[in-house]
Amino acid sequence: MKKLVSLAVGMGMAVLTASTAQAISEAEINNDIAEFQGFFLKRFPGVALEDYVDGVNALPQYAHRRANWELMMDFPPYEPEMEKAEEEWSKAFANGKGFDDCNLAPANTYPVYDEASDDLRTLVADLNACLKANGEKPIKNVQRGKMARLIAHYKSQFNDEPMAVDFSAAGAQAWYEKGRQFYWAKRGQLNFSCANCHVQNAGNSIRGDVLSAGLGHGVGFPVYRTKWAVAGKPWGTMHRRYGGCNKQVRASPFKAQGTEYKALEYYEAIMNTGVPLKVPSQRQ
Amino acid sequence: MASTKMKIKKNKTGGRDVMVLAKHPMETGLRKDKKTGEKIPAHYIQTMDFALNGTVVAQANLGGGVSKNPLIGTTVADAKSGDTISVNWTDNKGEGGGAEKAVK
Amino acid sequence: MKRRIFLKGSMAAGAIAVAAGAGLLAPARVLAATWPKAAFTAKSEADALNAFFGSADAQDSGDVTLKAPLQAENGAVVPIKVSTSLADVEAIAVVVAKNPSPFVTSLQMAAGSAGGMFSARIKMGQTSPVNCYVKAGGKVYKTSQEIKVTVGGCGG
Repeated sequence: MKKLVSLAVGMGMAVLTASTAQAISEAEINNDIAEFQGFFLKRFPGVALEDYVDGVNALPQYAHRRANWELMMDFPPYEPEMEKAEEEWSKAFANGKGFDDCNLAPANTYPVYDEASDDLRTLVADLNACLKANGEKPIKNVQRGKMARLIAHYKSQFNDEPMAVDFSAAGAQAWYEKGRQFYWAKRGQLNFSCANCHVQNAGNSIRGDVLSAGLGHGVGFPVYRTKWAVAGKPWGTMHRRYGGCNKQVRASPFKAQGTEYKALEYYEAIMNTGVPLKVPSQRQ
Repeated sequence: MASTKMKIKKNKTGGRDVMVLAKHPMETGLRKDKKTGEKIPAHYIQTMDFALNGTVVAQANLGGGVSKNPLIGTTVADAKSGDTISVNWTDNKGEGGGAEKAVK
Repeated sequence: MKRRIFLKGSMAAGAIAVAAGAGLLAPARVLAATWPKAAFTAKSEADALNAFFGSADAQDSGDVTLKAPLQAENGAVVPIKVSTSLADVEAIAVVVAKNPSPFVTSLQMAAGSAGGMFSARIKMGQTSPVNCYVKAGGKVYKTSQEIKVTVGGCGG
């Protein structure tokens, strides 16, 4: 227990009192990665780093429900949608070009820090920028449907590649810091931080569910969820999920592709360094 | 039909497991439309025939208790490389769908 | 070679007559072309079994196994998989005891050409035993497992 508290203090709680101008070094970020991953590898001894992409299904505490996922994976409901995704990706723009001509980074390196704009490029943003640059209408719904399918199609081509997000620039490190603060800050009427559930209580039960580990979050996204499928909107991007999670702790969700969720995505992607991609994911 | 997908996997006994994913609302007839308050009419797949080289070897029977966009799987024990497995389903409205695949 | 009518009530008498008339003695069974309405509309498990198998009697068997979660992720889509090593399987039926219409789905097989596996994704209204029946060699065997269905939980 003591070690857990000191980990929390060392990794996150101290920064809550600091201003966002506090600099963090590349070395410190590497140390954060080691501590974060080490915490989970120790907490769940039978679970290898690459298993964390399977989310809650990788945890022994989920054994009573795992067959649900295994059986769904015999023939994942997202498969017909992935065929549709390929068609959507392959359809040429009016100017004759297509998504293959977009200047995209390898999927395992997103979000990418852009020095010139001091901003983070997400895959969502890059796809919409590409559409715009080619005279096409950008996709409005950045959380579901077509955008999620396009992302799933692109990312799945990098399956098995380990997460490798760059954070060597000072500006990138500042964005990391923003994300880290968000992850460890309490929010909502329930006053929970991401870490409260997904670090300190990873593997524990909450109502009828088991809390997934923070390690691995997003590596398998976009996600095809049974709950969303029943309501007719099965696909979700990271930012859709972030919004849902914030609502669950009774906090107002932030804007998809806004500063907060971009920073959070960046922090999580860096914490996942080395975890191989497995896109898309089937979840409840 | 484009909306019915089939997957054929070799099973432990050398035969084939066939899984079918059909696109279908599988309405029980008991659910109410949230906007109108009216009951959504029953609309579900009733029979799904599995055929090996044209001969029906199994029939699955479904009802409203089967999930939307149903998955049905069964073994076709005698299937071997070069054979064709086809599936044909019919719903309570008389509409149908199907798919066909060569066994590798 | 005995011609067997293995499912009372669900077999279209016409199909049997045609098969008999054509002098077909093998395969031993003719698949029904009709949907077993009486089983699907039955409000009790016993009535459903009587309608489908001609009897509600079944014997527990370790040769029938059910792969299913102990707790479902979503009651609208509960994946299950019945397997059996029994020989001469004629039919498999899945009954969710506490569903308003307990008979959920079934499989009927012709002799020797389909095997002992049946998987489906089913709806469950509440926590319930899921009873799986296999008719093999003229007898009905069963296995059962309770699947918990919870409402709510986390996950935006």
